[in-house]
Amino acid sequence: MTEKGEAGMREMNTEARAAERETAGAAVWLHGAVQLRKAFRLGPLNLEAPVGCVTAIVGPNGSGKSSTFRLLLGLTAADEGEIRLLGERVGDGLDDTELKRRMAYVPEEDSKIEASLRGTSQAEFVSAWYPAWNQGEFERLLREFEVEPSKRLGKMSKGMRRKFELALALAREPELLLLDEPSSGLDPLSWRKLVGELHRYMERGRHTILMATHILDEVKRLADYIAIMADGRIIGVYEKDELLSSWHRFYVGPGLGGAVSEGDVADLPGLVRAEESGGGTCRVVTSRAWEAEGWCRERGLPITGQRALELDEIMEQLIRQAR
Amino acid sequence: MRLPIQINDNSAEPLYHQIESQLRALIVSGQLTENTLLPSNRELAQSLGCSLITIRRVYQDLEAEGLLRSRQGSGTFVAKVDSEAGTRQLRQSAEEAIRAAVDAGLAAGLERAELERLFAVELDRRCGPKTGDRQDPS
Repeated sequence: MTEKGEAGMREMNTEARAAERETAGAAVWLHGAVQLRKAFRLGPLNLEAPVGCVTAIVGPNGSGKSSTFRLLLGLTAADEGEIRLLGERVGDGLDDTELKRRMAYVPEEDSKIEASLRGTSQAEFVSAWYPAWNQGEFERLLREFEVEPSKRLGKMSKGMRRKFELALALAREPELLLLDEPSSGLDPLSWRKLVGELHRYMERGRHTILMATHILDEVKRLADYIAIMADGRIIGVYEKDELLSSWHRFYVGPGLGGAVSEGDVADLPGLVRAEESGGGTCRVVTSRAWEAEGWCRERGLPITGQRALELDEIMEQLIRQAR
Repeated sequence: MRLPIQINDNSAEPLYHQIESQLRALIVSGQLTENTLLPSNRELAQSLGCSLITIRRVYQDLEAEGLLRSRQGSGTFVAKVDSEAGTRQLRQSAEEAIRAAVDAGLAAGLERAELERLFAVELDRRCGPKTGDRQDPS
């Protein structure tokens, strides 16, 4: 494991959590996976997506999210490292039929090859391959998503095709669900239904989701862990609530001692940035908000304004730090 | 069941801590009675909009404190609360809240006398004036 990789994994630090992941097992396990291409180096990738949890991969366009999915599915081969899904090795040219029956993948782009097929015949074909196929659940999902399955796939609108593919994946009752930008093309109402269905899927047994997304609301509503990708690397894996509640912007001062300067807050826990913001106050960004709050209180420095950073702002900071 | 727990997104207090203290208060105050079945981890996480890991941590912590117990396969239940420990818990959290109020006052630059006055006003409003100060009705 490279230095960066170790730093990334260290973010999921506490011992309790490490132990928990070990016992629960990782549904997706990437260890030092590297793929070299002419203009792009993917990896080394280190990631463990624990069973029973939703892990979201977020990152700017071109950071390597979809390439990572192709690696996971064995659609492209890794030049180095090891990849395991549901405990099974991927990408050795081994027969992975059994493994593929236990998982489902919804790619970002819908396949063009099947465009002339009707939804119903596509479903018949898929159901024959998956022993866990649940026809009742499939029909319920189509009703819920308001999809007309007798249409040809190529004639469906982008949103309807998307919902059809998602229904097809969920009805297979997979242990592991891999989703690449699941909500692309969905209207807000359909999106809410999708989030509801994914919650439902997670409640029904030991299921795992690994999803790539750029919809921050999707991350907030669904994810347990967030893996941030940039420049072909995973720069960190974080527990969602911890990440979202520890980054804050404060306005500090003026205190009893008068105006607060940058120097006064130089030792603030988790300080990322401080700038004087007029009226004797200093605007600070911290990655350890709770400690920072206590630190200010102990020193009699009043916090006059405070807000949690949004995920995109946090990502920006973390990516800048990693580069 | 929907637990009356409020999350403040803009507080720096970690989510698990916010949820833990509110759930603890619901139990020790007796609002949640012994043997009440709590929502599953995933259900509670979803209704509060937080992650499964946070809820797991809350349940584990409160179980370690003896306020909850979990039965394999059937869920998490409210344990029998030792009423004396409950009173102690309530008193502790009250003391913490008062300390926080004093901190906020001091940080705002209030003097001791001013703080005392504010406390007195609030107490008078809630509990009526102090017996010694009561006006003689005659």
